[in-house]
This record gives sequence, structure tokens and C-alpha cells, in this order.
Amino acid sequence: MRIPFDRSSRSGLRLSTFALPLLLFIALCFLSPSFLSVQNLGNISGQVAALLIVSLGQLVVALIGGIDLSVGSVLSLATTIIVSVDPSYAPAVALLAGIAIGLVNGIGVTYVGVHPLIMTMASMTFVQGLSLFIHPVPGGTVADYLGSLATSPLLGIPAPLLWCVGAVGLAAFALSKTRFGLRLFAIGASPPSAARNGVPVKLYSIVCYVICSVAATVAGIFISGRVSSGDATVGASFALDSITAIAMGGVQLAGGAGSVTGVVLGTITLGLMTNGMNLLGISPFLRTAATGALLLFAISMQRRNVIGV
Amino acid sequence: MFDVSPGHALVAFHSITKSFGPTKALSDFSLRGMAGSVHAITGENGAGKSTLMNLLAGVYQPDSGEIRLRGEPIRIENPGHAQRAGISTIFQELTLLPNLTVAENLFLGREPHRLGMIDRAAMQRRSREALDLVKSEVDVNKRCGELAVAAQQLIEVAKGLMAEADIFILDEPTAALNAPEVEMLGKLINSLKAAGKLIFYISHRLEEIFRFCDVVSVLKDGKHVATHAVGELTHDRLISLMVGRPLGQLYPARRPRIASASALEISNLLPAGARHAVSFSIGRGEIVGLAGLQGQGQREIIRAIAGIVPRAGGEVIRFGSTEGTKSLEPSIVATVRSGIGFVPEERKSEGLYLSLSIEQNVALGMLRRQPMWRYAEVRKPQIAELGARMGLRASNLEQPVSDLSGGNQQKVMMGRWLASGVDILLVEEPTRGVDVGAKSEIYALLRAFADSGGAVLMTSSELTEVIGLSDRILVVRDDQIVGDLDGIAATEESIMRHALGGLPGAGETRS
Repeated sequence: MRIPFDRSSRSGLRLSTFALPLLLFIALCFLSPSFLSVQNLGNISGQVAALLIVSLGQLVVALIGGIDLSVGSVLSLATTIIVSVDPSYAPAVALLAGIAIGLVNGIGVTYVGVHPLIMTMASMTFVQGLSLFIHPVPGGTVADYLGSLATSPLLGIPAPLLWCVGAVGLAAFALSKTRFGLRLFAIGASPPSAARNGVPVKLYSIVCYVICSVAATVAGIFISGRVSSGDATVGASFALDSITAIAMGGVQLAGGAGSVTGVVLGTITLGLMTNGMNLLGISPFLRTAATGALLLFAISMQRRNVIGV
Repeated sequence: MFDVSPGHALVAFHSITKSFGPTKALSDFSLRGMAGSVHAITGENGAGKSTLMNLLAGVYQPDSGEIRLRGEPIRIENPGHAQRAGISTIFQELTLLPNLTVAENLFLGREPHRLGMIDRAAMQRRSREALDLVKSEVDVNKRCGELAVAAQQLIEVAKGLMAEADIFILDEPTAALNAPEVEMLGKLINSLKAAGKLIFYISHRLEEIFRFCDVVSVLKDGKHVATHAVGELTHDRLISLMVGRPLGQLYPARRPRIASASALEISNLLPAGARHAVSFSIGRGEIVGLAGLQGQGQREIIRAIAGIVPRAGGEVIRFGSTEGTKSLEPSIVATVRSGIGFVPEERKSEGLYLSLSIEQNVALGMLRRQPMWRYAEVRKPQIAELGARMGLRASNLEQPVSDLSGGNQQKVMMGRWLASGVDILLVEEPTRGVDVGAKSEIYALLRAFADSGGAVLMTSSELTEVIGLSDRILVVRDDQIVGDLDGIAATEESIMRHALGGLPGAGETRS
């Protein structure tokens, strides 16, 4: 397969999208002896899996030129629901809540005409408050079956990797093989033109926000199974992290360009960076600072008139 | 009233009314379209042609009245619905998505699929077939953003014509096509007609109407003027139906040209990206029109003078009545500061402050020379007097500009410059989207401005306007001025002769 690196390609992939995680990987092999240990690689995949699932949801929204800041709160809410509701149907309740939030975001953006930043900032704050109300102090117990889903390997394959493969496969199939995926790229390039070609733009946009919220909910279920507790603030960094990850992966936040490959690479880059700073003993606060700088860097590399739109 | 074509009424509009804000785009409009005919819809800009077709294409819905499709009343909710109902539209503006391939664009909205997956092989094969129809050789896997505009328009045409539909709407399909492609389009239209389809052909190009169409309906100010078999009409008769009155009354009287002091001198001006530099001058009391086919560089010239398009070379010298002679800096700020007003083509996005009131919009011009810390006084009596002089129709001067019709918005735009005391106006498309009544008032305003010692440079894509209003007409072709004609003596033929120059098909454009 020829990967088009020209600036106008629909995938948004560039040489740097591939080179950056590779260079980080090589550098960490030399800088930290424990980096290549099985245990550390397992750690990385656990840390990266949740972010990857959230970022794939963020990708779907970004393709139509939207953005979803509420993913972190939705993730947190899912973990609090998992520990607060009867385990036999807790995941279903969490998913329903995710769908509801996605619907509100999508309808607010398309029919009410609220800017996606404002709409999802409002729902982010609302859901954050709700999560803290449901489960103010981190803790609680998570059903065993969820714990094993998130941690027990299957046929020797670590569980986080299975979650990743599932999410990536689903996203890649939807975006490159289905009519739905193609139409998302059309909407991202020009909503009025897409509409004139018979694409139901508003319906699709709402579906995108629902998909994004559901992805965040799934990531929340995964995390609660992994750490065996509910935490109303566990998702706090996910909004910025997922947007940074997709921007690193060449996804154009103005819409119409992006790829699952890019999102995987962007997420790995961010994951390696976090892990590397951990191993080298750099303060986690600086890691947050670095994420902000990275977002600005990735966005500045993109093509468009106004940076960051 | 008309029973010229065989077959039955495939589409009937019955008493349709459609308004945008206070502007009635269509009022009490009725029309029938017969199967197996090519039905031209024509009229001046703003007559309601595109609105009518957008109703059928599902882009807009009528405020009142009824559309009947194959005898059944239908409310077309969106473009997708129109497609499924068998209506295929080739929109005037391109609807291709730059990030999709040619094949993806051709099938967007109706992608061939198997088990939920896009059948790319079928899509590419059928795209190739569709493109062969229009004799386009582009690679179906190329992204549309990489193609030239003419190639894109051909794809747009192919997309519209290959649809499984029995009503085809072609909205100004030839804008970016050259003569052989237009010829081929004619053949395609004929084969559709032979297959019993109904083709609505929206155009104000007379020669195409007479060549391709069986029936022509003329619209004017949102109303149906007449429907005739094309064979019953002559060019002149059709023009008088479109205009609705002899040309003379629309335009203010001109005095024969006399030598006057220069107001603006443009020497060797090279707009950025243009291939040739231009030199000309505009005298006091003169209205100079830049004419030519679309996209030949008129817009770049006037915008380079205004300082919006960067200059790659050359000089613009203004001879002031009060401010002396000076060479203008290439910036819009410097241009305005030196007493030159610019009325942009896109007055809504580039000229007016839509949410501000009429008086605030005009006052901004009056305050032009004030230091910015001074109290910004809105001199209401002066503005009211100006509004009355311009024939501004508004309920009061506090009304936001967004509520006004196109013609009144244009008057506000001009009023701002008149109130600010400029003596040179650069005007793009003075009457785009303006109804005929307001047109003559705007023409009178420009003429009065020139008569009082002002100078006007305008661009217009309407030839009749250029001929009716200008004292001098500069014809632009390929970034060059290829003709300098006297406005009173000029005819459409003489302008077109210069505008087409050595281009292929020059002779047949006007018969």
C-alpha cells in the first residue's frame, strides 16, 4: 500500500506521524533499561487502551468538524455507575447514560446550533458534577466478571490488547468500508454540499456524538474493571489527551481528514511519552505541561487558515 | 396556456410562495413541466429561478402552495428525499467534496453496497462509464480537490445525468464549460428527452435556450411572466419578456463624453497572480465599467486598486479635489483613508454590519475621519435625509440591516460612502441580488454621484448593465484590457467580440 504523505491526503498521515512514536520507542530503549520489560510493556498497553478507545470516539466527532470535551466526565460517570448500580445490569445503565449524553450533545450542536466547544463544555461540567454526586469518594467494589474482562488474558493475549484490537477493528471497518464512514468525510469537508448529495447531515452528526460518548463509556467500564473501583475524577485528563492524540495522528480538527492508523499512532506517542517520563522520574505535573505543548505543536502542523479550528 | 409538448405533466407547481425574510423570492407561482421536454427557466438575476429549482431539489420548502409530482402532492423534505423521488439536480455551485475521490463523489448519497460495505469495484466501474458519457478522462481514484474547475463541473454534470431519475434540473450548467463540452451536453440532454425525461434547464444564456430547449418559462421578480414554445419566440421577444420593459427606462440618461480631469490613474498595475499588467485612467464625472467573461481578471483588477488583492507591481495614483495628488499604498485602509469607497460584491460578508442598524452602518462612514477617541455621534437628521434621497425603504432607521432586501442593503452600503464624502467609488456588481425597481434607483444614485464630480469604476457580469450605465467600457480578457469602448455606442455584440477574442467558438456565441 502506498501511503500518501502529501498535505492534502484524506488520511492526514504524515511521515512524522510514524516517525515520532518510533523515535520515542528507540530513545526509551536506550534511556531506560526497564522500558522493554514485559511488565512495563503490559503497563503501557493498560494505560494506552482506555485512551485509544476514547480517542477513536473523538476521531469520529472530529471527522465531521466537531469536538467533544465531555469524554472525560462521561468516562468518570461510567466508573461511578459501575460501582453504584446492581452489577448484573450496571454496564447497561452506564451505556444508556452514555447514549443519553451523546444525544444531548448531538442535538444541541445540530438542532439548537450551540458551538460544539460550548455544548460539550457544558455537558462536561454537568456530568462531572453528577459523577461526584453519585460517588464522591473513590472506591467501591466492581463485579468480578468486569475485573476479569479487563485483566485476564485470553489465549495468552493480554486483555488490554484485546480491547484495543476490538475497538480499532470496529472503527477501521466503519470508516473505510461502510457508507456511513465515507459520508462522515463528506460532511467534514462541507456540510451543505454533503446535504445536497443526499446525506442526512444532522442525523449523522448526532450519531457521531453518540458514538463518541459510548466509546468514552466503554473506556470507563474498562478502567473500573482494571482498577476495581469507581472514581468520579479518573477521566479528568481524557478530553485534552484524546484531542492531543488525534491531533498528533494527523486528524484535522476542522473535519474531513483523519485515519484510524493516525489515531493509533498518536495515542501510542502520548502513551510512550507518559511512560517514559515515569521511568525517567520526571514529575507527572510536567507531563501535563508537556501534553499542552504537544497539542499546540500538533495543531500548528496542520493545514488551515485559523490555527486550531 | 401551453400544451406544446407531448406527454403528461410530470411536475406541477401550484400557487407557490416562498419568502426569505421580508423578500418574496416567489409569489403565487404556478408552472407545469411535461415529460419528454426540455423546459428552460429563465429571467434576470434574482428573478427566482434558482429558488424555484431549489424547492424541487428539496433544499427549500415552500411557505405555501403545492408541488405535485406525477399528479400526487408531495412535500420534498430534503435533497435526499428529492433523489429518491426521482429528481436529480445539477447545482449551479459545485457540490463535489474535495477530500473524496471522483468515484466517491459520483456516488455519494447512493453508494453501491453489499452487506453494508461499499462495493468499490462496482463504484469505480460505473464511474468510468458515467465519465465516458461526458467524455471526461479523469482518473476515478483521484481526489476532486486536485482537479481543475472545468473538470469538476463535468463530473458534476455526469453525476446529475447518471442518476436514476425522470426529472433533471440543470442550474446554469455551462458556466465553466467551453464550446465542445457545451455541445456534448446538448447531445446528452437530447438523449434524456428522447427517453421521456423532463429536463429543467435554468439559464439566462439565450443561445443555449434556443439551441437546447422546447419550452421556455420566463420569471420576473418571483412571478411567472409567460411560458411559450421556444419556436414561437425571437431573441428580442424573449429579452423583452425577461426585462419587462424597454432597456432605456432602467438607466439614467448619459451625456456624451467630454474630456475631464483625471480622478484615478492606474499604471502598469499587476494584481498578484495575474499574467498581465493593466493601465487606464478614470476621469471625473465618468462611470467606467469593467466587462468580460467571468473570471478573466476583472475582479482582481478592481480589488488590486482597492488594495485588497496584493499588487505585484504598478501604481495607483489618485488626483484629489481636496487631498492633492498621491500614489496609493496597496492597502484597503489607505484606499479608504484617501477618500475612495469600495462596494464589495459580497456586501453581506464584506461590506455591511448586518446586526447593526441602518443609521449605525451609515454613521460609520461619516465618522471615517474622526479620531477614534472622539464621541461617535450618529447624526440622525442627515442620515434620514440621505435615506429619503436614496429611496430607502425601511420601517425606521434603527432597523437592523439584516432585515432589509438586497436592494435596500445595497443602498445602505452606498449611503455609507456618500455620507462619508468620498469622490471615487469602486463598485463590484452594483445590483447583484437586487430587484429591478431598486436597480434603477441604484443606477440613478451612481449617475448622480458621477454628475457631481465623482468617478466610478465598476465590474458587472450583466452586460446590459454595463452597457446601460457606463460612459466607457473596458473589456478584460486573460488579465488584459483588450477593448476601450464608448458606453453609448457599445453593443452586446461589440463587447462580446472583444471578450471572446481569439477563443474558439467566438463567432457563434451570439447569433
